[in-house]
Amino acid sequence: MIAGVPTEFIPPGPQNFDTPPIIDGVEWFTKPVLVSALSVVVIIWFYWAASRKAAIVPSRLQFAGELGYNFVRNSIARDAIGSQEYMKYVPYLCGLFYFILLNNVAGTIPLVQFPTFSHIGWAYAAAIMSWIIYNAVGIRKKGLWGYFKHQTMPAGVPVWLMPLMIPIEFISNIVVRPISLSLRLFANMFAGHILLLVFVLGGHYMVFESGNVLLGGVGVITFIFGLAIAGLELFVQAIQAYIFVVLTAQYIGSAIADEH
Amino acid sequence: MSEHQDPKPSPPNSGDGWRVLSYLIGGVLIYGGIGFGLDRLFGTEFLLPVGIVLGAGLTILLLHFRYGKS
Repeated sequence: MIAGVPTEFIPPGPQNFDTPPIIDGVEWFTKPVLVSALSVVVIIWFYWAASRKAAIVPSRLQFAGELGYNFVRNSIARDAIGSQEYMKYVPYLCGLFYFILLNNVAGTIPLVQFPTFSHIGWAYAAAIMSWIIYNAVGIRKKGLWGYFKHQTMPAGVPVWLMPLMIPIEFISNIVVRPISLSLRLFANMFAGHILLLVFVLGGHYMVFESGNVLLGGVGVITFIFGLAIAGLELFVQAIQAYIFVVLTAQYIGSAIADEH
Repeated sequence: MSEHQDPKPSPPNSGDGWRVLSYLIGGVLIYGGIGFGLDRLFGTEFLLPVGIVLGAGLTILLLHFRYGKS
């Protein structure tokens, strides 16, 4: 926006998510790429530093690392997959959780302020990875036909209703799951970011560019509400990372579960 | 902690609601889709709504059998 010129208010839209390349000429290196790469560095550094001087009496950093790891291990993986086989999937779930969490929270961190998963491709990639993993472990455990039967025959349904139920079970287990997984994450991040933009850009316009004292007063209130929305967003960002990983764990759990 | 050898895969928890949602979407999608296809085939227009309602109804029935008894 050009200051000083009385302009129309341009509401934020999807065009605000078109981030230009950071270095000219390197097309693929955009802000989400930078943010996700940074998040990987931070996660690796954190867990490396936390486990480097592992001791019986943990240091503060080690304690924090164990807390973060145990949260995923016990409250997500073990609860959803069951105490027999959950350990195999903890590394993936733990990495996935902290990757999504950090990239979501990047939408709130000052100066960064861009949630990577508000670009839908990232959400698709994460969901497809989970989809491949839960189908692969199911097929490996039960064989192709056995797994297919397991995922399409709902438990407890009378036999005469089976032909009607099998399509529903198939569509919801194989087709809708990855779509809903990715859309939920993407839509929450996209909507949250655009909501913040509306409050901040709207407040900015009313205070500095409208030239109207009354509107200026409203703009100050808008800024304050924007802060409250930012707090709410922090909550949503954490919840979405949690939901994504809980559902992935549940899908893995149901793919390898014994007959109901 | 590892004492309970529960054969059931998981205790009901926060993810169940989302799974129910994916069933509801799936049921409406598949039977609505079949209705839409048959409409195209026969040149009628009442089968899409019939399919959607049938899909929603069947899904609720499925959820009743699947989750209603525990």
